[in-house]
Amino acid sequence: MANTETALKDVMSSIDGAIGVALVDYNSGMALGTLGGSAELDLNVAAAGNTDVVRAKVRAIELLNLKEAIEDILISLNTQYHLIRPLTGRSGKGLFLYLALDRSRANLAMARHQLKRIEAELEV
Amino acid sequence: MKRTLRQFTGRRPPVLIDPELLAGPGLLDELSGLRARVPHLTGSLVATTDGLVVAHDTRGLEPSGVAALTAAALGVGARLAEATGQGEFRELLTRGELGYTATYAAGSFVVLTLLAGPDANIGRLHLEARRAGRRIAELSDAVLARQDRD
Repeated sequence: MANTETALKDVMSSIDGAIGVALVDYNSGMALGTLGGSAELDLNVAAAGNTDVVRAKVRAIELLNLKEAIEDILISLNTQYHLIRPLTGRSGKGLFLYLALDRSRANLAMARHQLKRIEAELEV
Repeated sequence: MKRTLRQFTGRRPPVLIDPELLAGPGLLDELSGLRARVPHLTGSLVATTDGLVVAHDTRGLEPSGVAALTAAALGVGARLAEATGQGEFRELLTRGELGYTATYAAGSFVVLTLLAGPDANIGRLHLEARRAGRRIAELSDAVLARQDRD
């Protein structure tokens, strides 16, 4: 089991092409922890903005009467991938991991696999 | 001209600020813009640190009462921040059972107070309110600078 800080470090060091990562509470839109980022990628802004993305998708699933949970959400930009992964553990209810990747350096399948592993081990 | 909010922790502003002088179409545009950009926002208000309403976009609420309470909370918040070595007042967030009240410094003698429902995205609220606060500060500081010159 890993705590938030360790998990974020693990994401940045073990996932190729990682630009920044945040653990976000989508009830409040605030980040519980962030690592990486840059002048162009403010992770607190990303946390607030992507909270709206997660909330909208949860609402869409409700409207469609699907008894399903989100495993992950992938957003492809011209030069980046953004990966959102809600936490599944009991301690992670209402939280998601947000990961920004550089498309030219990242391996998407490997990144998803690694993020799944890190999420499963994360204890908040 | 850079005046800081530290001034209202002890000292009064150099001049009594007339809220009508500060109120302009620019301020109301800011407030309606906030309502459009922040989901679950239920009201917004710009007040002087003396507790006088400058502009508001609220419904079913007495803005003058909220402005007066804001001024009182602000005084305590600013003293608390200073007493604990955290410097100038920046913002104040209160969470009630049914929603949030947030107050942000907007320049020297003006504050922005926002009311939001329990489902509000606070990250988003902070982001938009801080930006609006900077723009309101520019507007009000320009008016006060003009008043100082006259």
